[in-house]
Amino acid sequence: MAFTGNFMCDSFKKELLYGVHDFANGADVFNLALYDNNADFTADTTAYTATNEQTDGANAPAGGKALTNVDPSVPGSNTAITSFNDLTFSTVTITARGALIYNTTPNTTSISVTNPAVVVLDFTADKTSTSGDFTIVFPDATAAAAIIRIA
Amino acid sequence: MKMSPADDLKFEVHTTSGRGFTPEEIAQRCADKIVAVSDTAPPAIRDQALAYKRNITKVIEFYLREVVKSDRTTVYNAINDAGHPELAELIRRL
Repeated sequence: MAFTGNFMCDSFKKELLYGVHDFANGADVFNLALYDNNADFTADTTAYTATNEQTDGANAPAGGKALTNVDPSVPGSNTAITSFNDLTFSTVTITARGALIYNTTPNTTSISVTNPAVVVLDFTADKTSTSGDFTIVFPDATAAAAIIRIA
Repeated sequence: MKMSPADDLKFEVHTTSGRGFTPEEIAQRCADKIVAVSDTAPPAIRDQALAYKRNITKVIEFYLREVVKSDRTTVYNAINDAGHPELAELIRRL
């Protein structure tokens, strides 16, 4: 198995219609977890898994680290967007081929979900930090580039 | 209605080994967030934006260095106050 591209998970699209996810700053807590290339993530991925996750003690714990949400907006072109601040795993020794963003605090009023998946990120190659920093730099929060866009 | 990300998603992964990111590296990342200009923008606008980006990168870099120095002072005093003056001195000399 291997990473085969970036995906917005199909289950996430459905869950939006159930009101599961709140991307407002300070609302739901979305985590980013790192994985090696044995991970099997596609658009069909539905939830976080610890299988093939890459961790390094407290600085890269199981489950990944929490992201900081950027408030959703409509910056133009009839496109609604949301994003996250860049995320750094500090002082870690780790090699990862991709990542999964998932919601640790979903609204389960209308549907039962646990750690539902949002986005699969494919780094396209192994990325390594050795006793260093590992940072995911998110694209600009614009209608043309934001990581989550609804047009 | 179309939802992304798809093939046009452009995120980056930056890593270091045996050190943290330098003020120059973080300043560049910060400037990239503040100033974005299309490659297809009119040349006069694009050139002006890129010149502004170069200037603001230098300003950010300067203040990041100031933060590093100031935080190092805080760390020096914390370690010194904890009774480790030799370790504190090593931090001060970084």
